[in-house]
Amino acid sequence: MHFLGRIRVGALAQRGRAFSQIAVPAQEYRAAIGLELHVQLQAREKLFSAASANWDDKPNTNVWAVDAGLPGALPRLNPECVALAARAVLALDGQVQRRSAFDRKHYFYADQPLGYQITQQQHPIGRGGFLELGPGDGLAHTRRVRIRQLQLEQDTAKSIHGVDPEYVLVDLNRAGVALVEIVSEPDVDTAGEAVAYVRKMQALLRHTGVSKCNMEEGSLRCDVNVSVYRAGADRLSGTRCELKNLNSLRAIQGAVNAEIARQVALVGRGEAVAQETRGYNASAGETFLMRSKEAAPDYRYMPEPDVPELRISDDWIARVRSGLPETPEAALARVAAQYGLARETVLTLLGEPGCLAFFEEVARGCSARLVASWITSEVFGQLAYRAQRLAESPLTAGQLAGILDALQRDAVTPAQAKQLLIAFMDGETRTVDALVAAHGWEVISDDAQLRRLADQLLDAHPKEVAGYLVKGQARRLNFFVGKLMQATKGQAKPQVASQIVKDALDARRDRLA
Amino acid sequence: MPRILLRWAPCRHAARCRGLATAAAVERSLDAIARDNARLNAVASARAREDASAPGPSGSAGPLEGWPVAVKANIATTWGATSCASRALEDYRSPFAATAVEALERAGAAVVAKTNMDEFGMGSKNTFGIYGPAHNPHRAAGGGDLHSPGGSSGGSAAAVAAGLCRAALGSDTGGSVRLPAAWCGVVGFKPTYGRVSRRGLVAYGSSLDAVGVLAQTVDDAGAVYRAMAVPDPRDMTCMSPALRRRIAALVADTRPGMEHLGADRPLAGLRIGVPREAWVDELSAAALDAWRAGAARLAALGCEVVAVSLPHTRHALPAYYTLALAEASSNLARYDGVRYGSRSASRAPPPARPANASLKYAATRGEGLGAEVQRRILLGTYVMSEAACRHFYRPSQRIRRLVQQDFDAVFALPNALHAPDMAPQPSDGRRAGVDAILLPTATDTAPRQGRAGEEDLVASYVNDVMTVSANLAGIPAIAVPAGRTSGMPLGLQLAAQYGDDDLLLQIARHLHQ
Repeated sequence: MHFLGRIRVGALAQRGRAFSQIAVPAQEYRAAIGLELHVQLQAREKLFSAASANWDDKPNTNVWAVDAGLPGALPRLNPECVALAARAVLALDGQVQRRSAFDRKHYFYADQPLGYQITQQQHPIGRGGFLELGPGDGLAHTRRVRIRQLQLEQDTAKSIHGVDPEYVLVDLNRAGVALVEIVSEPDVDTAGEAVAYVRKMQALLRHTGVSKCNMEEGSLRCDVNVSVYRAGADRLSGTRCELKNLNSLRAIQGAVNAEIARQVALVGRGEAVAQETRGYNASAGETFLMRSKEAAPDYRYMPEPDVPELRISDDWIARVRSGLPETPEAALARVAAQYGLARETVLTLLGEPGCLAFFEEVARGCSARLVASWITSEVFGQLAYRAQRLAESPLTAGQLAGILDALQRDAVTPAQAKQLLIAFMDGETRTVDALVAAHGWEVISDDAQLRRLADQLLDAHPKEVAGYLVKGQARRLNFFVGKLMQATKGQAKPQVASQIVKDALDARRDRLA
Repeated sequence: MPRILLRWAPCRHAARCRGLATAAAVERSLDAIARDNARLNAVASARAREDASAPGPSGSAGPLEGWPVAVKANIATTWGATSCASRALEDYRSPFAATAVEALERAGAAVVAKTNMDEFGMGSKNTFGIYGPAHNPHRAAGGGDLHSPGGSSGGSAAAVAAGLCRAALGSDTGGSVRLPAAWCGVVGFKPTYGRVSRRGLVAYGSSLDAVGVLAQTVDDAGAVYRAMAVPDPRDMTCMSPALRRRIAALVADTRPGMEHLGADRPLAGLRIGVPREAWVDELSAAALDAWRAGAARLAALGCEVVAVSLPHTRHALPAYYTLALAEASSNLARYDGVRYGSRSASRAPPPARPANASLKYAATRGEGLGAEVQRRILLGTYVMSEAACRHFYRPSQRIRRLVQQDFDAVFALPNALHAPDMAPQPSDGRRAGVDAILLPTATDTAPRQGRAGEEDLVASYVNDVMTVSANLAGIPAIAVPAGRTSGMPLGLQLAAQYGDDDLLLQIARHLHQ
């Protein structure tokens, strides 16, 4: 620990020296940044085999002959993956190519069973399109980031190091799972914009059901190209470096800033930036050399002879387009206006795939604000606790509508409503009414009964009563309300219970006086 | 050599004595293998008697009921090794059978043996492989040295020629079925690319590979072919039902009423082209005589024989080797010893780092793959490299297209892949173009068996000059026996337009009789 600490301090000191040597003020430099996002498609099966795409199942269980590169096995393109890729292209306002084709990209690695990756280098399925960043994305300005291309490709297997001292373990479950690589033009200026771009892409692809886009589990991976240029010079006059494996938003932010600083320092000293691939050491806050241009592998791209050219008809594209949900922007504006909700609330709903439709269905019969607040606090809380996505939860819109309806007409208390929610999320299938009846729940609306209970409680706790009445301890009120709710097993409405306790205490004060 | 001339007599009462006939035929075949294989080395592994004659999956009598059939060692079966005659796959047992093998068994055939071959199909004399050279059952007049059966399907050709089985499957990437057929005096048919599924055929050059048939008669070859020539959605390059229908419609359009050919002049109305470019310096006098005699025979059968030109033929061989080797270097990249196959036992450090992993791969591939395979992989890797691609791979792709266009220019039948939709034919009754072309299969008869290492490599590649064009264009071609010289068989070759397999078989049948 101490050792690590010392390294870190040293590294910072070194960086400080580098900055002090800059001849040209760093403000005179700008960066040109492009991003390559690798996004795992949310398809049931792999890109070229019918093995399940659930790569986190038991290791090496979702493996077909072609995924293991067995002799004589042939790939077979999965139309579901093509449709999801086309969805992404259309969501980005790009053009789905009528003809696209697959290539082989060769390199030897234990997580590459075929010795090559099947990808689309020359003729990708999508070209063009853009992502518009603005105030809604945390920027003070607007920035349009153009998309160069979107290509379908295979994921690799997973190499697992360090479990066995002598071997690297390989899990083929992920081998051949479908990815799309989304390559942007170098239209991004700063680390902040790069992060905003990734965030927005996540939201868009989740919203359209293309991908889970979870950076932690690796369903979204990010490489960033950075070059710097003197203000006023040609934007692409600098030499670019590729930053690999930036797998969190924080890493993107840190790596891009560190790399800009490194390149500015180099150029400022009159040194050339070498074209290379670099990694990011988050604890040192520095990028480091992974391989130079000379060491770059020759991938020997070749047209994939086992997969014919992919031809897509206009009709098919139209069908994919008609299945696309409205864009997050449009949905945000519409829902905020239609239901009178705050932008932040709608953004939270949009962040969970499928949630907006869920919300709208529930809100048909209930107050929109009540629905929104229940979804964002109670439902999301339960989902987080269960590490579940909404789509995976058994909870239906009808069930939540039933709970909130019961709540609104005082048929259940908030505590009971919460219990119902938990039951439904556990897979309960009976109706709200049936559950209320089964639990014997009913809101106690008989005030006399509550008053009697309150008096008994006050008698049982004279010290607390004195505290409230004599010493003026307001918190004693909540103590009695809690006790009363407990005594009724939550079947009293909290507001009513509170009023009754207060009345009972006040009555005693009168008696004292 | 009377045994060589043994023919498989058709069983007239197949339906009645099916089980018995199959068992007897299998018994006869396995006896022949036990007796003659030591001399021929045609069979790599024979099946156990009880497994071979077990009733197949077909419930009713199939067209191949009772046929003992052998398959090349690069075609997957669930029994025995699918070794490709390579150390790398010496003990490799496939979990699935090739679609072609499944089709044969469904048709009633009994697969009795896996045959010897050049390692991964790379060779034309059946000398490169772990089983050692196979031998030609024919001996030159006056005895003397053993002759090569040709390659790479040398074991299949020798087995059929020696009567070890009724038919055998081979694979043809650049002539590997037709050349050994010619040298062993049997029929060798390479169907149109995509007629027969490649699933389970271990890939050499995926865009050129075809499962082919070796048999003693054209009718036998046709029967086996028809059992296999069915669509297979598991191979994306296998012709779809729609494409098969389109070809049938084009054939009916081009040759209306051709199915009713007269008995005395059975091929009347057909035109046969004799390509000038096949008249090469290396052609022996005997091969030239056989070619002339074949043309005369077709004329006597009613064909009009005309000279045609295929101007790009001289570029076909270098283009073929460039493309085949490029694809081979890619297809064989998977034999890294990680998931299956042999792995070097050398005590290289554990592959914890890529650099060390590369050493392990190098040792595994260096030991597992033979010299000729390594040579071809290295050449293929070179022609695909970034620096060389421009000079070798891409021009070769263009030449391939030109070779195919040469054929389109001489054949009357339009190419179903490239023809505009159903171009109306001139209705004056005079068709332009030829129906098939006739050319030698090899420049000479089988050479004497050399010892490995004495091979003149360039000369051995030249053996393929007559055959590779059909693979480049994906068109069907068939070798038929055409007499002997000094005791050794000669072959003639017919080729037809893409998809015109049935016509080709019909002409070949009459040419052979």
